[in-house]
Amino acid sequence: MELYGPIVVLFAIALAFAIISVVGARLAGPRRFNRAKNEAYECGIEPTPTGPGGGKFPIKFYLTAMLFIVFDIEIIFLYPWAVAFDSLGLFGFVEMVLFIATVFIAYTYVWRRGGLDWD
Amino acid sequence: MTTMVSADTLDISFPEVDYLALAPLLIVFGAACVGILLEAFLPRTRRYSAQLVLSVVGLVAALVTIVMNVGEDRPAFAMSDGSRVDAIVIDGPGLFLMGAIVAMGVIAVLLIAERRVSAGGAFVAHAAVAADSKADAAQARHPGATEVFPLTMFAIGGMMLFCVAGDLLTMFIALEAFSLPLYLLCGLARRRRLLSQEAAMKYFLLGAFASAFFIYGVALLYGYAGSVQLVDINAAIAASGNSQVLLLSGLAMLAVGLLFKAAAVPFHVWTPDVYTGAPTPVTALMAACTKVAAIGGLLRVFNVAFGNSGNPGGPSLAWDWRPILIAIAIATMVIGAILAVTQTDIKRLLAYSSIANAGYLLVGVIALGQALGATLFYLVAYGFTVLAAFAVVTLVRDSQGEATHLSRWAGLAKRSPRFAVIFTLLMLAFAGIPLTSGFAAKFAVFSSALEAGQTSLVIVGVLSSVILAFPYLKVVVLLWLSQPVEDAPAVSMPGFMTGTAVTVGVVFTVLLGLAPQVLLNIVDGAGQFLAK
Amino acid sequence: MTPTYYLVLAAALFTIGAVGVLVRRNAIVVFMCVELMLNAANLTLVTFSRINGTLDGQIMSFFVMVVAAAEVVIGLAIIMSIYRSRRSASVDDANLLKY
Repeated sequence: MELYGPIVVLFAIALAFAIISVVGARLAGPRRFNRAKNEAYECGIEPTPTGPGGGKFPIKFYLTAMLFIVFDIEIIFLYPWAVAFDSLGLFGFVEMVLFIATVFIAYTYVWRRGGLDWD
Repeated sequence: MTTMVSADTLDISFPEVDYLALAPLLIVFGAACVGILLEAFLPRTRRYSAQLVLSVVGLVAALVTIVMNVGEDRPAFAMSDGSRVDAIVIDGPGLFLMGAIVAMGVIAVLLIAERRVSAGGAFVAHAAVAADSKADAAQARHPGATEVFPLTMFAIGGMMLFCVAGDLLTMFIALEAFSLPLYLLCGLARRRRLLSQEAAMKYFLLGAFASAFFIYGVALLYGYAGSVQLVDINAAIAASGNSQVLLLSGLAMLAVGLLFKAAAVPFHVWTPDVYTGAPTPVTALMAACTKVAAIGGLLRVFNVAFGNSGNPGGPSLAWDWRPILIAIAIATMVIGAILAVTQTDIKRLLAYSSIANAGYLLVGVIALGQALGATLFYLVAYGFTVLAAFAVVTLVRDSQGEATHLSRWAGLAKRSPRFAVIFTLLMLAFAGIPLTSGFAAKFAVFSSALEAGQTSLVIVGVLSSVILAFPYLKVVVLLWLSQPVEDAPAVSMPGFMTGTAVTVGVVFTVLLGLAPQVLLNIVDGAGQFLAK
Repeated sequence: MTPTYYLVLAAALFTIGAVGVLVRRNAIVVFMCVELMLNAANLTLVTFSRINGTLDGQIMSFFVMVVAAAEVVIGLAIIMSIYRSRRSASVDDANLLKY
């Protein structure tokens, strides 16, 4: 059970940090609102207008999410290689470079065909 | 924390890679990757010719390297300590299946590339544009998307890998590698886009369902045998120490995934809809190449892992799975044949005929090693005939595109007798009339199944092929004896590429009927799967 | 904790997924059920990897995860294109569709 001790402590610290941050900001911070502050935060881009009760999203969100998923998951193959990097040596390195090159081909296609442009 | 292995204590030995053995696969997948780069960097007007040349050259080069590999059965990876790494096994039947897929793949690529018969080809220019919208009407003037070429190459490469995969994980990856591009290709038709998209979605949802069964079966077999290599599973069955529940349920789940791709009853429901909705060149690719890959995978799994070719005389699992597979084969032959009789659309008719033919091929699978050569022969004979048949279907057109309803085909022989002669020949081959490839193939499979003692299967097979002959002959009668409808569709003059496809298909149909011994010698020379 | 519990859990998840595919009519939900089945297979692979004492199963689950991601991308693309064509967010409205 003592194996899980640090994890419990970590959870406690994380929870405490979250609570202290939120409550502390409430108590200590000044309250000045303007239009920009009242908008929903969407990573710096203009908030997407949505109709009442949800409504439709621009399809661009789906496209970006899909591209993210596929490239994100490919990286999983780097984990086993990274764990045994020393013993795999040059053979493993070359294999991994080939793998990344293949993923990069797909990336090139997405980039050249405008999959990364927002508009 | 004590379970962690420090990296410098790992002793990893690397396999020797046999690059000649991998060459066919590397070339096809490489050509697909280069095709993606061409899509990314070439200007739009130059893409089509570059992609066509790249695909055909890649496939022909792959065919050459396949021939160079003939005669030496070996795994493509070898460990220095002699332990087995069966990820990819190059053996006689595997090479033959790969060669068949590549040869038919060339024809299918020619059909996919055809742009003369209908302006712009069979594929939509921008698949993202919503069907039946104003933008959709506007894009009808643009030539079709050239992404179909890399997609086709990925599909063909996946099918080749599926036939030579010696472990179930590689097989799963190959299954997905050829399925995923096919799902997309199904949805890219220029005409009748709603139907096409619906076909893609049905194929996708049911295909993903089937592949989930496949991978769960793999997981259970991994639990049973401690390995997913087919030879290891076979050895584990011979040792018979572990739980039979894991083995049998794993085998059942695995078989669901494989039989789905082969379109066997009761996993056939997607076939008619997908064959009808997909663009006809893609249907041709699926009917010919996917059938080879699916049956090839079934043959390898049942021969190597669940037959007893690895240890003749040892205990065999065949007694357990054979009755079920026999029931499936009978159902496939009978239901495919009976439902083909009621069809009024030529693509749907050919789809049900493809289901019935999956049943005849399953007869060959059930007879195991004894019918292996005959099954390979059947795959090639059926594949080339069906390619030519779908190529002809693309030619019969009216203002709405392809006229696939059979009533529109009435009396076409009066207007274009040459077309009618060709299609009659193909229909007779499907019906198994002597002196055509269909007869030689059915004869080969049924006679070797008889030798293997599957008398009841052969009786059902012969009876169902009598039933199945009826819809084909109905089409022939319709072509020659019926009165033409008023605004009858015209048979387009085939362009060079469709012309080649039809010619090659007809030549193979006739040659394999007149002189089947040439190809029978080759399949006999291919020998058996590398089991030990 | 015997590893068998995980196998039973995986089998239950797989069954829930399979039944979901058969009874649900919304394409997205059907697809989510297929993903559930794939994850059940993953759990089985990892558990057997533990039981057998080999790492193969864990590596295989990586492959299954990547395949699942590729399937998600292809599937959502197809489902999205059909939604746009029919201008409807539900597959039930599509009268051509009969499973």
